[in-house]
Amino acid sequence: MNLDFSVVFKVLPLLLEGAAVTVEITALSVGFGFIIGMLVGVARLAKMRPLKWLAMIYIDFIRGTPLLVQIFLIYFALPMITGTRIDPFFAAITACSINSGAYIAEIFRAGIQSIDKGQIEAGRSLGLNWFQTMRYVVMPQAFKRVIPPLGNEFIAMLKDSSLVSVIGFEELTRRGQLIIAKTYSSFEIWMAVAILYLIMTLTISRLVAYLERRYNVDDRH
Amino acid sequence: MIDIKELKKDFGKISVLKGVNLSINEGEVVVIIGPSGSGKSTILRCINYLEQPTGGEIIVDGISLNSETNVDLVRKEVGMVFQRFHLFPHMTALENIMLAPMKVRKLSREQAEEEARQLLAKVGLSEKADQYPEKLSGGQQQRVAIARALAMKPKIMLFDEPTSALDPEMVKEVLNVMKALAKEGMTMVVVTHEMGFAREVATRVAFVDEGKILELATPEELFTNPKHARTKEFLSKIS
Repeated sequence: MNLDFSVVFKVLPLLLEGAAVTVEITALSVGFGFIIGMLVGVARLAKMRPLKWLAMIYIDFIRGTPLLVQIFLIYFALPMITGTRIDPFFAAITACSINSGAYIAEIFRAGIQSIDKGQIEAGRSLGLNWFQTMRYVVMPQAFKRVIPPLGNEFIAMLKDSSLVSVIGFEELTRRGQLIIAKTYSSFEIWMAVAILYLIMTLTISRLVAYLERRYNVDDRH
Repeated sequence: MIDIKELKKDFGKISVLKGVNLSINEGEVVVIIGPSGSGKSTILRCINYLEQPTGGEIIVDGISLNSETNVDLVRKEVGMVFQRFHLFPHMTALENIMLAPMKVRKLSREQAEEEARQLLAKVGLSEKADQYPEKLSGGQQQRVAIARALAMKPKIMLFDEPTSALDPEMVKEVLNVMKALAKEGMTMVVVTHEMGFAREVATRVAFVDEGKILELATPEELFTNPKHARTKEFLSKIS
């Protein structure tokens, strides 16, 4: 077997473009997932039963089915109902956001439940309603505690986003496939792709560790 | 001011309150004493619906506690002070006091801050306005918590063992704030083990045991001439 890593350097700009798209789709998905997760996480703990049940169904369905199947559902199955084709970019972001939202909802639920019940009682006894107590008392405290698991979710999403290559969306993994189709240098390119993912995940985990340290200092007010 | 009739509360199969009757007039300071686990804190927590009664009726200032909106109405009139303070750790002392007036009474920030500073002065903590709770001693935290409850201009104040989590040297500063409040004519219901406070400040003392009020009398009567055998036993153990 003749390995020739010089090909990697030739196509590196193409791979880096793919990596940038991977970061973009991950950031957008975790961003939307954050908003979904925060709302669903709160709804999951709401006293209103139907709201709570809806949140539970959503979380169970998403966490209990493969992301790949969810991508297929949105890209192939949904257009059969609506009658219009969906752009791969839109489908990828939608599937990943909905997926991420369910995991982040559970992160928020755990974060909220870790706050002392006395905080809620103090808020309610002052006349704040349930929503106000969540918004001004519980959530600001929960935010600090969800940073580390949110970082993990970001890393998980970055890796899982490679799945959207199956609908032809050109992120890092799909770029790798397309380059190999032309150059046949399978080993070299997949190694390069793996190393690019590794660089991205390591950078993020360092960033999260830094944020964690900074917020822990703030916590000691 | 507060009318409690046949109040019952079960936690699962355990019956904590077995029919409590208590009427409290405006300006009264009623101190509830009794052994731990007797249900005294539960009575207090039922008054502002932090615990949902299993049976009976509670009427606070003419408002019956039976629907969600009434609960919110009652909570606006009833302030509560907890054993473990429960200050909001992500806010300064001043912000702790300002939050509810701004969000519930819809005061402007300036107005809320002015009132909050007056309340801090009242509890003797003007210089701690910008400190976070963690930087305050237990006694100081509890005084901020009292100021925070007073900021809603409540007609009634509930105190749930307000000095039990404090180091002995800090008990007095909190009791002094409470005494001053009683002198101003605030209606107060206080669960405490501080018999000195009960003797000095209470208009009436209720002795609670096993989910019932066994004896309700003026402090002189209850402390010097207890009628019930359980009251005598309890008082002899603590003095």
